[in-house]
Amino acid sequence: MIVIDKLCYQSKLRYVNASEKFVYAVLSLILCIISRSVMTAAVVFFVNVYLTVAKGGIPFARYVKLLLIPAAFLLVSTIALVVNLSRTPLDAFAFSLGDWYLTGSISSVQEGLRLCGKAFAAVTCLYFLSLTTVMTDILGVLRKLHVPGLIIELMMLIYRFIFLLMETASAITTSQNSRLGNRDYRTRIRAFGGMASALLVRSLKRSGMMYDAMEARCYDGELKVLSEEQPAGKKEILWIAGYELLLLGMVIWSWMR
Amino acid sequence: MKKHEKFLLKASIAFALLSAITPTVNAMHIMEGYLSAGYCVAWGIICLPFLIGGFISLKNKIKTNRRNLTLIAMSGAFIFVISSLKIPSVTGSCSHMTGTGLGAILFGPAAVSVLGIIVLIFQAVLLAHGGLTTLGANTFSMAVAGPLAAFGIYKLCGKLKVNRRVSVFLAAFLGDIFTYCVTSIQLALAYPSEVGGTAASAVKFLGVFAPTQLPLAVIEGILTVVIVIGLETYAVPELRNIGFLKGKEAE
Repeated sequence: MIVIDKLCYQSKLRYVNASEKFVYAVLSLILCIISRSVMTAAVVFFVNVYLTVAKGGIPFARYVKLLLIPAAFLLVSTIALVVNLSRTPLDAFAFSLGDWYLTGSISSVQEGLRLCGKAFAAVTCLYFLSLTTVMTDILGVLRKLHVPGLIIELMMLIYRFIFLLMETASAITTSQNSRLGNRDYRTRIRAFGGMASALLVRSLKRSGMMYDAMEARCYDGELKVLSEEQPAGKKEILWIAGYELLLLGMVIWSWMR
Repeated sequence: MKKHEKFLLKASIAFALLSAITPTVNAMHIMEGYLSAGYCVAWGIICLPFLIGGFISLKNKIKTNRRNLTLIAMSGAFIFVISSLKIPSVTGSCSHMTGTGLGAILFGPAAVSVLGIIVLIFQAVLLAHGGLTTLGANTFSMAVAGPLAAFGIYKLCGKLKVNRRVSVFLAAFLGDIFTYCVTSIQLALAYPSEVGGTAASAVKFLGVFAPTQLPLAVIEGILTVVIVIGLETYAVPELRNIGFLKGKEAE
């Protein structure tokens, strides 16, 4: 039901040690954000695309489609960044509107382009994580990082409930469609509202049942789950360390210039 | 259909037509990598007190009654699912609710801050809305500022004895608007304009996102009212359980 989640379970990198993947993605992300050069962003971008698509076996067309999700935000906010309304024209471009100009400077255009590159590279880091590491593994890593137990437990339950609720929501929508709901705008608004309120009622009931079931299985304040741990390969760790050092070098070089 | 429902529908149709021009409308998550490192950390730190407050309040809730654990988790999942479903819009373009207003009204702002950050993590990882580095900024605008505004307006309207449906609408609508303003200001602080500095930049960001966010806020307000009407009709005992209807209101 959630495309990214489904693709993630099919990834060939799914059974690689989760901590490795997490550290790789987060370090690349941080280095990509603090770097000032487009080169770093380009390296991060292509390495991530290679790893996720070629190594992980995610269909390329799907990946491109996913990359386009944040494009709308990027486009709109970069326009806001680059275009100024001013009485004096700047050096890159200027369209006159009576006394005023819609205008931008070369440096702001460069800055905007650099930001776009950086943002796309950062998105590929996020996608590497979400397309190779399943949520339960990520929670395992968070547990190792000593995130409070309550938060982990809530995340685990919420992750499970999301699918329950989506199933219920789609069943309700199907039955609404079969009763002539959703046929025009008025009914769509009514149907959505009705679906959401029915969903909340059902989910509250379900949470009660869930608790009873947990208590029947001796729940006493702590959810215990078995986690599958894949051993971290020495070679992989070396590769990751080498790559991150290379990136770090590029970042420092970009600061020095 | 009752009279007020008719009115709501008409209003929503009018505003949906306004939004017909824009293709994809999401809540305004700042995308991954769009803020520089300093701002990512700063917004994260600003969120911390709210998150810790929310965490303590959740912990106490669970301590008083352990049943609340599954209830709170279900509420979090509900907010996620509501925000991931397409909401009706005329052209078939896809837009999503933020669900923060509804969450704040139903579950209170303290719970929503912690649930909000969890939902935002899931949205980033599973739906690619928002990101990990911008988590702090997004949490502040969507899980702290928006819900606080929505909750405050809802309570204020309650004090002023405004009709509850109107107050629910205002809370969800203004909560959304507030979120959108805060996000614009966050972007403006990070990227001040060459001409006119932060203030001019804020106006620009408010301007470019207005055509998508304003209609979305109205639709969100209307949907929230429709949902609350549905809940009041069918789910009074459940609502009393989560503390939405108290005492006299429930009867």
